[in-house]
Amino acid sequence: MFSQLIVSGFLTGSVYALMALGIVVIYKASSVFNFAHGSIVAFTAYLIWSFVVQLHLNPLLAGILCLLVIGIISFLVQRLILYPLTGQPVLAALMATLALGEVVSGFVTLMWPGPARTYPDFLPSGLIRLGPATITLGEIVNFVVCTLAFGAFVLFFQKSRLGLTMRGTAEDHQLARSEGVRVNRIFILAWFIAILMAGIGGFLMAFMHGVNQEPLISLGMKSLAVVILGGMESISGAVIGGLAIGVLEALGAGYLDPIFGGGVEEVFPFVILLVVLMIRPYGLFGYERIERV
Amino acid sequence: MMKRPCGTFDQTYAQDMSYIRTPFRMGLLAVLFLLLFIGFPLYADDYLLGIMNVIGITVVAMLGLNILTGYCGLISIGHVAFVGVGAYTSAILSNHLGWPFWATLPSAAVVTGLMGLLVGLPALRIKGFYIAISTLAFHYIIIWVILHGGNLTKGVWGLPCDSVELFGVSLDTERRMYYLIMVVAVTGTILAFNLVRTKYGRAFVAIRDNDIAAEFMGLNIFRYKVLAFVICSVYAGVAGCLYAHYLGMLTVEQFPLIDSIWYMGFLIVGGVGSITGAVFGAFVYRLIDQVVIFLGPFIGQVFPALSGSSVAGFTQMLFGMVIILFLVLEPRGVNHRWQIVLSSFRLWPFPY
Repeated sequence: MFSQLIVSGFLTGSVYALMALGIVVIYKASSVFNFAHGSIVAFTAYLIWSFVVQLHLNPLLAGILCLLVIGIISFLVQRLILYPLTGQPVLAALMATLALGEVVSGFVTLMWPGPARTYPDFLPSGLIRLGPATITLGEIVNFVVCTLAFGAFVLFFQKSRLGLTMRGTAEDHQLARSEGVRVNRIFILAWFIAILMAGIGGFLMAFMHGVNQEPLISLGMKSLAVVILGGMESISGAVIGGLAIGVLEALGAGYLDPIFGGGVEEVFPFVILLVVLMIRPYGLFGYERIERV
Repeated sequence: MMKRPCGTFDQTYAQDMSYIRTPFRMGLLAVLFLLLFIGFPLYADDYLLGIMNVIGITVVAMLGLNILTGYCGLISIGHVAFVGVGAYTSAILSNHLGWPFWATLPSAAVVTGLMGLLVGLPALRIKGFYIAISTLAFHYIIIWVILHGGNLTKGVWGLPCDSVELFGVSLDTERRMYYLIMVVAVTGTILAFNLVRTKYGRAFVAIRDNDIAAEFMGLNIFRYKVLAFVICSVYAGVAGCLYAHYLGMLTVEQFPLIDSIWYMGFLIVGGVGSITGAVFGAFVYRLIDQVVIFLGPFIGQVFPALSGSSVAGFTQMLFGMVIILFLVLEPRGVNHRWQIVLSSFRLWPFPY
């Protein structure tokens, strides 16, 4: 049972890592913590489902349309909501993202009400034995896609000119501005990448467990715990935190569920979050900020 | 502070300290109280009284949140969980032990206050939005505990709670409950008005503006932050106790995370950092709610989905948009506009 829990937790954790990556990208670029991530995950999952299953679009066309929608959303969010709030206290940006999350999830409830949607099975439902543990083919695909997305992400930030510009902007807005970088556009790009990550993660989870709003939003909320554990500014922290939270949650659910009567995995990440906040508030790989008055 | 026309000065210390400074304001307040306690209940029907009851409970809860967030600068997005703790405490005490209302109200306040002490502890190390996240985590944990409380909280089945009995009178109608809720809400408002003028209120404001500077001035910021959490939770506990006795039946679904977000959001809409702002916020919150209930059938026709869920979705979108619009266009909230109106009346015919 132990190794089974470890393996399945690891595989869920890879999706958490992808979610957390989205939050970290926005935070690094614009120091806005995106509480709307869960709702955006749900929105993109429903959107992809609509394009592919409801409208029977060509996957390539659906992908392009999704990118377009994501681009429009990230532009609107940055231009209309977050740009006017620059320089306001923490509360303003925080409440703006929370309210944005509610707007998005209200929109999802309006557009796609009722029970969960499912994808038709196009993968063979084989079980693979990995030592003492068994995993489904879907979980393998899940893990592979997550790894690929993460690889592309790292490559973008290490090699491409735009990625380097983004990293530079994250370091210092004023310096970047004096080098001729349009900082606002970089923020829009950060939102674009974050929503893209959310979309991939949402698609994977939806593909595995059906498109349903509540679990997808709680997935986004749990990725808060991941980000806090890994450190707010750290990309490797997001990945390690995601895998760690996934494994810990699976172990907690596996061993504590019989004692407490179920539902432990709903609350276990938050217990971890509180412990981390008490012991090491800046996370495993975050920067410890020194404040001056 | 209040703007007064040229040439109006305080001549004694008592005048300087008083909250109601002019006869005009005294008269305004008297009219307000007359309306609240005699005029409104005389003419309103049970439906309107029900709306006012919910508003009164919301006012109490929001005042607590305003002291925590508006004055001490600690953001809480788990406020509804505290209201839930207060509600469940009084429901458990009155249901399992048969305690009367005058005993459940203070015990709900004490238990919720202790809960606030616990939630405030992470403030030792963290601040800003980390506090917000820790309250969020506490929200999930508290709700989970209530759900898995076994026979004590009756989890998903719901816990009944008797109506209030005071001095041999059972407060089982909207009208009778109205007086109790309004007395508590008005007392809470007056206490909050005075609290923010004391040493503690000033300390909270100092911590909100810059906590390192406040510590440098010799304030024990950890103590004050935890105190702010305790005061906030006591308010929430009182609100929860009233809510439990008012509803008569408690389930976990009455304390969803989204309500915490609305509390915080409509505090901003009302005007964060002022007591009248919290009262305005509660009114705006519950009145928009009523507008949506009124418009519900039309929304159901426009979006031919399951009508219940489409109304819920519409409410969510509308509330979220109202909060975003206020954040972007008027971050000081309704209260600021109200103050402008008031002072322009007071100073008329001069512009300032």
